[in-house]
Amino acid sequence: MIKQITAIALATSAFFLLTGCGEDKKVETKTYKYTTVQVYEKTCIKCHGVHGEGNPAKHTPALNDRTAGEMAQDLFDVKNGGTNQSSGTEHDVMEHNMQKLVEKGYDYDVDSMAEFLSYLAKKR
Amino acid sequence: MKKNELLEEILAEVDKHPEIMSRRDAMKYLTMSPMAASIIAGATVGATTVNASDAKGKILIVGGGLAGMSTAARLTNTLSNPDITVIEPNPLSTSYQPGQTLVGGGIWPKSELVYQRDDFVPSGTKLIKGAVTAFDPKNNKVTVDGKQEVSYDYMIIATGIMLNYKAIKGLTGEITSTSPDNAEAKKTVGKDGVHSIYFQDGSEATFAGIEELIAKAKKWKKGEPKLQAVFTHPNTPIKCGGAPKKIMYLTHANLVKAGCRDAVELTFYPNGGKMFGVPEYHEAILNQFKARGFKWNYKHNLVEINKATKTATFNHHWTEKGAWDEDLEEYGVELKSKNVEVKYDFIHVTPPMKAPDVVAHSKVGSGKGWVPVNKETLQHVKFKNVFSLGDVCAVPMGKTGGSARKQYKVVVNNIISAMEGDQKAIDTTNHKYAGYTVCPLVTGFGTVMLAEFNWTKKPTPMVPLDPTQERWIWWLLKVYLLKPMTQIGMLSGRA
Repeated sequence: MIKQITAIALATSAFFLLTGCGEDKKVETKTYKYTTVQVYEKTCIKCHGVHGEGNPAKHTPALNDRTAGEMAQDLFDVKNGGTNQSSGTEHDVMEHNMQKLVEKGYDYDVDSMAEFLSYLAKKR
Repeated sequence: MKKNELLEEILAEVDKHPEIMSRRDAMKYLTMSPMAASIIAGATVGATTVNASDAKGKILIVGGGLAGMSTAARLTNTLSNPDITVIEPNPLSTSYQPGQTLVGGGIWPKSELVYQRDDFVPSGTKLIKGAVTAFDPKNNKVTVDGKQEVSYDYMIIATGIMLNYKAIKGLTGEITSTSPDNAEAKKTVGKDGVHSIYFQDGSEATFAGIEELIAKAKKWKKGEPKLQAVFTHPNTPIKCGGAPKKIMYLTHANLVKAGCRDAVELTFYPNGGKMFGVPEYHEAILNQFKARGFKWNYKHNLVEINKATKTATFNHHWTEKGAWDEDLEEYGVELKSKNVEVKYDFIHVTPPMKAPDVVAHSKVGSGKGWVPVNKETLQHVKFKNVFSLGDVCAVPMGKTGGSARKQYKVVVNNIISAMEGDQKAIDTTNHKYAGYTVCPLVTGFGTVMLAEFNWTKKPTPMVPLDPTQERWIWWLLKVYLLKPMTQIGMLSGRA
């Protein structure tokens, strides 16, 4: 038993050496063609409005009715085609539109966009 | 817990199943697997990584399941003068939920799952055996069972998730995974070929259902229409996102073992259009499905079960190319849907899930019900003295015990910083939750694919092995190691 425990202890040290102890990964930095504000003012604004109020005539929802944290999660969901293994997403139409927008270079950071939308909502 | 006590506990588990692995082999794998070793080490030395704190304040934990009770334990280990109250109505709240898949697959008896809440209340922690019926975060208090007011300085919401069977026409009940108060669900689920491993009694009934299916399959003759086994995945976030597939793999394994796999067609009907959000795992699962002769039909959401005719109705939805969209400067898409009827001999239902109404409809909830928190600090977005973790909190992906295991340490650190008045530490220096989730996808008797990932949607394996492969050592982890790690390591606030 003692031998095995020693082996386990050795394996453990090897593990921590190999992985640097835990789940922290290097932060990936991504650069975007346009700033968050530019993306909103060139694209989103057409359907979601100056204050993110939505447009019933275009069947587009308001974006100013939730906190920045909630918004960030919805944006994450839209950009990733759902966040649960096989649950899918309720944003099928926007998922398509978002893919097209990203192809055109209108990609953005979800946290930054969520902050901007909550700023728009307050400014209203 | 001494290191060799934990080892003995694991080996005692191994001894119960000599047909799968001998003690000698288990020892061999334990010493070879750095993951296993880290767990054992973590379970015993983790406590030393937290600095003791003299911070003071009345902490209220709403919900004493795995997330809530582990948090209570870690706070107890950390604070010099802990003042902690846990509110939990369910006497079996600390049961071992990840084992429900194994019970459903006939690998464990139900008795392996059942753990009493009262055995896990940390010494010094007050337990209120009731349910919160109202939240009043502006005045820092909650109401229990409609009559007793409980105030707090800091609150942690860990109520868990509701299994909403009644949202499917023909089924009944809105229950939790472990509460014995599940009679309403059992009226329709757990018999007549309709099964669900998502609750404790249901998981036991599922294996009886698989045995019924096997009995029918053994009478099947070549040329007759095949028996239909159907597996669903709803359109809501769910706890343990892999379980709908795991039970399919285990049904397959049982049919193969009984020598009657040819008689049954196994089909997966998920609401989504993918097997997994992480592309590498999606591909791996597709290959596993193909290798086992499974069928799958994406974008089917279960809406009704007719037990008299043994028919399941799905809302099948898809998009078609729509009109030219001037704003987008591209063609848009249109949503289409129709109802599709599917005959079943055996159906495994993964119910739609939601936050408890008392949370969703209160000031601490959100439009979608989940408690809105900063996804890295787990601090409530509106109330800085409120934190949330586990299945009820609104973080993308990951309603698993593996997520809770990462989250509870973050919550404990941040609560202590909050008590010390150090919001800056919460926002900047304290360790952040990175979205880690783990799904040990049981793919057969003796094989598991350990899918680990986080918000980057990339595989994030803790050990340098190809994470898309089914491996025997992960079976060892799932079947032997995770239970002691959870019930002993995590619920004591250590691992």
